[in-house]
Amino acid sequence: MPRNDALENGELTDTSYYILLSLVEPKHGYLIMNTVEQMTDKRIQIGPASMYTTIKKLSAASLIKLYGEGEKKKKTYVITEKGRKMLESEIERKREMVRHGEEILLQLKEMGS
Amino acid sequence: MRKTKYIGSGGLAFDEEKDMERLSKYASEGWILEKFAFLGFKLRKGKSESVDFSVAYESDPDEDYFAYFEAAGWKHVCSTGNYIHIFSAPKNTTPIYTDKASIFDKYEKEKRKMADIAFPSLIFMAILFILESLSNLSWVADVVGTISLVLACLTLIVLVFTGLPYFGYQYKLYKLRK
Repeated sequence: MPRNDALENGELTDTSYYILLSLVEPKHGYLIMNTVEQMTDKRIQIGPASMYTTIKKLSAASLIKLYGEGEKKKKTYVITEKGRKMLESEIERKREMVRHGEEILLQLKEMGS
Repeated sequence: MRKTKYIGSGGLAFDEEKDMERLSKYASEGWILEKFAFLGFKLRKGKSESVDFSVAYESDPDEDYFAYFEAAGWKHVCSTGNYIHIFSAPKNTTPIYTDKASIFDKYEKEKRKMADIAFPSLIFMAILFILESLSNLSWVADVVGTISLVLACLTLIVLVFTGLPYFGYQYKLYKLRK
């Protein structure tokens, strides 16, 4: 399925990344939206349609799972073991990217001085 | 004075943004979207509202789906076929689709849906036209040709209503990829 391309390549979109981060504890969908907004100081906002489709996608890829149904049939989700590993490798990938960037910037500074 | 008004739609596959802008403009004049109508929308006279409209596709959504929209400030206005849903919200509410990946998914899914009907009907129509031209031969009854022609015309209608949207979505995806 082309829909899961990014996930299968082992890369997470910003939306998926932040949803996984906020699901280290079980949460309902709209609480995820609030959590992500607070965490990122409103820099990352997830619209309801994107939220719903991304949750479906992450579930299908077994990165999150249904935790339970609360009152009024509200579904809560939580990250899986697979999701946690994915999150760790994504953080490692991002750390490496930042390191590359910082190295280059440092070189530039040294050349300038 | 009339209480309801019908406005035509350019077809969501082609004119989604324009259609939503028109609905928003009508709402500011007090004509509020009530429901989908054949090839358009039905509006009802009410208080003028300053709102944005958005379309989402989701077949058979659960209660959570609408709960997410409500929590984000988007009011569910109407749906058709339990599949296409229109929402409205005060201007400057966070959009319903916020990342490229899910916008892409939205149109990709639509495109595939259209293709699933358009391609078989294209083949079916081709077969019907072959049958029709065969009916000019003496050993094939004339009635076969007549029936084929009628069926071919009906299939053409199906083809137009799925083939054109197919290209519409294809174009949207092409623009997104750039």
